[in-house]
Amino acid sequence: MLVKLSMSGLKSKLKDYLVLLVGLVISVSIFYMFQTLALNKAFIESNSVISSIQFVFHAGSVLLAIITFFYILYANSFLMTLRQKEFGMYMMLGAKKHKIMMLMFLETMILGIVSLVIGNAIGIGLAQGVGQLLMKQLEFTAGGYKAFYMPSLQITCLFFLVLFIISAIMNTLKLSRISVLQLVHAESHTDRPAVKGIMTVVTAVLSIILLAIGYWAMFNMETLMQAGIIIALITTTSGTYLLFMTFLPLMIGRLKKNKKRNEKGLNSFTYAQLSFRVNSLTKVLATVAMLIALGAGAITAGMGFQNNVMVTVNGFTPYDMVIHQPTEQEQAVIDTITFISKQQYRYKVDKKYVYYVKTDLEQHPPFAPYGVGRDSFGQYKPITEAISTGVVESDNWNDALRLIQPHYLYREQQVQIVDEQKYNQLQAEESSVIVGVSDDFLAHKEKWAQLDKMQAAKYNLSEMVLNSKYASYHMMHGFSSGTVFMGFFLGIAFLAMMASSLMFKILSGATKDISRYQMLHKIGVRRERLVRSIYKEQFLVFLFPAIIGVAHVVLGMKMFSFILRNPYDRIWVPLTIFAVIYAAYYFITVQMYKRIVLPSK
Amino acid sequence: MQAPVVNIQDVKKVYGKSGANQSYALKGVSFSIQQGEFVGIMGPSGSGKTTLLNVISTLDKASDGVIKIAGVDISKMKSGQLADFRSQKLGFIFQDFNLIENLTVYENIALPLSLQGVPSRKIGPSVQKVAATLGIAELLQKYPAELSGGQKQRTAAARALVHEPAIILGDEPTGALDSKNATSLLEAMTNLNEQHGVSIMMVTHDAFSASYCQRILFIQDGELYKEIRRTSTREVFYREILDVLADLGTQK
Repeated sequence: MLVKLSMSGLKSKLKDYLVLLVGLVISVSIFYMFQTLALNKAFIESNSVISSIQFVFHAGSVLLAIITFFYILYANSFLMTLRQKEFGMYMMLGAKKHKIMMLMFLETMILGIVSLVIGNAIGIGLAQGVGQLLMKQLEFTAGGYKAFYMPSLQITCLFFLVLFIISAIMNTLKLSRISVLQLVHAESHTDRPAVKGIMTVVTAVLSIILLAIGYWAMFNMETLMQAGIIIALITTTSGTYLLFMTFLPLMIGRLKKNKKRNEKGLNSFTYAQLSFRVNSLTKVLATVAMLIALGAGAITAGMGFQNNVMVTVNGFTPYDMVIHQPTEQEQAVIDTITFISKQQYRYKVDKKYVYYVKTDLEQHPPFAPYGVGRDSFGQYKPITEAISTGVVESDNWNDALRLIQPHYLYREQQVQIVDEQKYNQLQAEESSVIVGVSDDFLAHKEKWAQLDKMQAAKYNLSEMVLNSKYASYHMMHGFSSGTVFMGFFLGIAFLAMMASSLMFKILSGATKDISRYQMLHKIGVRRERLVRSIYKEQFLVFLFPAIIGVAHVVLGMKMFSFILRNPYDRIWVPLTIFAVIYAAYYFITVQMYKRIVLPSK
Repeated sequence: MQAPVVNIQDVKKVYGKSGANQSYALKGVSFSIQQGEFVGIMGPSGSGKTTLLNVISTLDKASDGVIKIAGVDISKMKSGQLADFRSQKLGFIFQDFNLIENLTVYENIALPLSLQGVPSRKIGPSVQKVAATLGIAELLQKYPAELSGGQKQRTAAARALVHEPAIILGDEPTGALDSKNATSLLEAMTNLNEQHGVSIMMVTHDAFSASYCQRILFIQDGELYKEIRRTSTREVFYREILDVLADLGTQK
């Protein structure tokens, strides 16, 4: 009988249950997705340029487990608040307490198992879909990556079963401690705004110190190595949580304190909504900030590794193409490419020397490296130093000529510069070299490959030793695409998890807000004004974690500086992508919230 | 004589689509309330009194007829205009208080003024004044959850009054109060009406509450059934009301 009753109660709150179920399902599927990578040791080790990648994934697993743990606990306490009034009523009508507790336990477990089954199914689907998509986009064949991976499935089931049992027990225990009266009146109870004290100041300072240590560890990742990862993980995470717990209530209090602002239009209501939520929001928002940091961070790192390919490749040589003695076939391919600059240098070769024409080199000075130390990497500009005839002695000119004459050609000969007159008199085989910089290296990938193939055939060399820009691109791309894949894959997973936890938090409280909005409607607040108030309130909720999360990303990228040439190269691209996704997500949440709380037109 | 605060002519409200299943909640009701009156609306459940209140309070649209409040015809207004109209001309007191529990008493009362864009410096004095009138000046910094039912309803009354609406509409304002709190609220309302000239219209099913009014309209089956005026003491009026209610009961 009681089960039947509780089923009907469940139906009446279907909307809330759906929100809860979606939240649980997403967290299960993300966890699974993460584990398909983390547990597939062979795959990640063979596809990463980061030596301690296995360790990074272990650390990530721990972090994700912690976040998931709190998320599940919170979700299940929400389940409890959904049910308590009804359970109180049953008890008032004479239902035995242990029966109710049994009911609560069963409900938590059933919901957990259902979400585990659906979540794993979705997780497998997602891993498959995202994996395939990324491999296609990155031209990366992830050999050994399995979307359906048994060890991951096992660990996910085990982890969540334990979590659900813990939260079922906690819900049941909680239920056993509260009286019938408390249950019946559960909904009329309102929480109070935060009280501030000396402890707040202490924790605020502590949070700043922790964050500072975390950032320091990330800045010095090169020397700290694995210890750095552990230090950064612990301090940044705890620092973020403390920061939100102390500063967020303070800031919203500030907003409310300004009497003039507070008493303008609906502001008092908007801020009150925030300040009453802030206590339950702090932890969720801190979680969201961490997930933003991890998600956007993973994508940024992935993109960083991807950009790094071209940065490095461009560092090896300024020319997209260097071709000696172009054949007709080669010339045909070259003609189809658009060049920004293309030069041809004539030369003659005899037993001892390679002769270049002075006027050729003067009229179209070749590129030479400039600058000193690490910063000089990849810096080239046309050589300005004057050149004299004879054997080349200037270092700059030697460097410049080395770029247009690969090491496998004319190993025996020295380079000599001659004037036009002498060149014409030379009794030697005449040849030439074409060097060029195209409008877009990546756009002509296939043509470079073609040229490389022809060149390799011409000199009977392996394509790898050609030393062309394409050859180094091919090699670098092979090195980093695995890491890029992991970065994007995890980034997408973390951002999805972030989205679900924030949405869950906002929507799970929404039913309680219905009456407030209805009341405001009754006393004559225009619908547009209510909508504006919602936009404003949610904007602030979305804003804080975004700021902290992005700060973590921007500062955290520094830790890759020992492996990436320039971790901040084009960092605005992933950040813009993130901003767009986040904004879209903000609008969707507001729309959903509006549909729940606003009276229908 | 001044224009009436509320003037409704032949107001009808039909539920259901045109066809067999139509039911009339109001079958053509006409009456008016003068400035400064304290009018009660009574009737058994299902008589249409709540519908009438909803129609007057612009929360619901009449199917037919003319409704003028403070000289303005509200039947042709759009929903946005109606919201503005409610916020400026009407004050509400609901049975279940309808306070916003995450705002302090002060903020709750100040809300209608804030919504109208009254500058902050003018809000303070207005709130203080109305709170003093209703005897809740001490409670301004508390939250609704910390108040008794009576205090909550006074807060609601203060909120209904603070922007000096044309009329205050009460929907069973004493419904959730015990007799002591109810009496004190009714006395406060009478005081507002008599000392401050506030017009009040109150729907109630409770004869005791109704006896504080000056005039009572009885509604049955969507029609105006009877109207009585208070001519002598409240006690006498109370008995008269009971008599009418008894009539209403036996008539069927």
